[in-house]
Amino acid sequence: MKTVAIGHCAMSWGDILEPGVEMAKKANIQYMAFDFLGEVTMSLLYRMRLRDPSRGYIPDIVPWHRALLPLARERGFKLVANWGGANPEAAGDAVVNLAKELGLTGLKVGVIVGDDFSDRIDEMRAKGIKFPNLDTGEEDLDRIKDKMAGAYAYIGADSVIEALKQGADTVIGGRLSDSACLVGPWMYEFGWDYKEPYWNKIGAAITCGHIVECSSSCTGGMMCSLWKDIPQQWNISDPICELNENGEAIITKTPSPGGLVNTWTVKEHLVYEIHDPRNYLMPDGIADFTTPHLEDAGENRVKVTNMSGKPRPDTLKVGIGYEEGWRQEAQQWFCWPDALEKAKRAEFNLREWIKHDARLNPVAMQVDYMGFNMLHGSVVKVPEPKDVPDLPEVGLRVCAKFNTREEADYFRREWSRWTGFDSGFCFNTTAAPSAPARIIALWPTLVPREEIPTRVIMKEVK
Amino acid sequence: MSKVRLVDIAYARSGDKGDISDIGLMAKSKESYELIKKKVTSDRVKQFFGDMVKGSVEVYPMDNIDALEIVMREALGGGATRGLRIDGTGKPICQALLRMEIETD
Repeated sequence: MKTVAIGHCAMSWGDILEPGVEMAKKANIQYMAFDFLGEVTMSLLYRMRLRDPSRGYIPDIVPWHRALLPLARERGFKLVANWGGANPEAAGDAVVNLAKELGLTGLKVGVIVGDDFSDRIDEMRAKGIKFPNLDTGEEDLDRIKDKMAGAYAYIGADSVIEALKQGADTVIGGRLSDSACLVGPWMYEFGWDYKEPYWNKIGAAITCGHIVECSSSCTGGMMCSLWKDIPQQWNISDPICELNENGEAIITKTPSPGGLVNTWTVKEHLVYEIHDPRNYLMPDGIADFTTPHLEDAGENRVKVTNMSGKPRPDTLKVGIGYEEGWRQEAQQWFCWPDALEKAKRAEFNLREWIKHDARLNPVAMQVDYMGFNMLHGSVVKVPEPKDVPDLPEVGLRVCAKFNTREEADYFRREWSRWTGFDSGFCFNTTAAPSAPARIIALWPTLVPREEIPTRVIMKEVK
Repeated sequence: MSKVRLVDIAYARSGDKGDISDIGLMAKSKESYELIKKKVTSDRVKQFFGDMVKGSVEVYPMDNIDALEIVMREALGGGATRGLRIDGTGKPICQALLRMEIETD
């Protein structure tokens, strides 16, 4: 029976390269997939493209290809990832230039375009597509029209399959859904199509894709249950999924000392941000996460059976990014004696300043007591100062949203107005408040699938 | 009436999509699963989080892995790209839920 092993080696932009290199050297895989995009990341990339139209992709694509392409050629695996972000064509050009420099003649770079429909919104609205906001129900897209940074659809594996058919060695997409980077290779290898009798098998591919899509989050990273027991957490290795043509899988990892795979490490990721587990909606199909059976099948091996799925939805999920003001954060620490009382005084000073200064009109503001409620919010009560008289230290974190950059910058510069009143004043000499950040909000909506035709641009290194 | 804290009978992991926070609450045993399935209701979760969760809460059972999937709307101050919380994606929210106490009978 045919089995195809896919490794997964990045959970986000900022993830580390070395586990991928280790997998390339030590494991037998046919594909290596990566996920670099989240909602925050897409906003950052659109912001990057706004500043410079030649950017907007994940810059790591160059050093990662530099390390992995020669290994991929030697060991015989292909790369599939969404690191094209908001500019897959520019990303593809960067990889082609690198491959030329490395002398990888004949290398085929498959670039997938079509997920970005920023310049077609008006045309689509004229046809009667409304783009209602899924969170709020609002249909008044004109309200954000002048502030739009970009619009993209979460696309499936259709064009990944096409790129592989055309012989791509590395497939570079934009907002390919996380699991599509694995579903594509499996559908291509097994000859599955978007019709009966394949929906259960595509459901299995989506389920497996979901389990490994955050890389080490299913090999002992981000654990609630076993975080104390994971071997060599600092040297964690990435997951590999061996799916067979019957739709049954083994989840395992690079054979190396770091990390762990068992039913707990897999289960913790199976439940991760899935909404209704019976209907995990992806562009390639709908997986049902209430049917899979997990069992330990040897050291660092979990067998997954009874996975299932349903036909893919007629609509694709869309994110429309738009500018929504500026965010400024500041932090200050206060020491014993009266640490908490000082922090409370600082909050008082802050609010008085804002009340009396016409130059400041925050749209919203969040004040957290670091060490008490910054992470768990209103679930935790901040004590009265008299109840913690000997508290060694406490921090105050303030984050405010402003309409203009000038206002946010003024708020940052005049920070000593609310902090500089006590002799134990912590003059932070290593980390000044960072510059204001532009907020790009997301308008989540749906678009009919047929409105988002994707295609492959194949670039061969001569 | 005896009570137990969720931290003693379950594990949890949370993630985000927009302004929605999802918590996977995984029982440490079959027995604990039956208990959390009965007691950790959407009303109770909504009440527990107070003004942190402004929208509705749905709870879905996953009998195959002894877990509940808890979906909380308007729970991340607008979502990671625009909110003001330091943990915009709400990863620590799952651990906050483990403070909840439920009756054992």
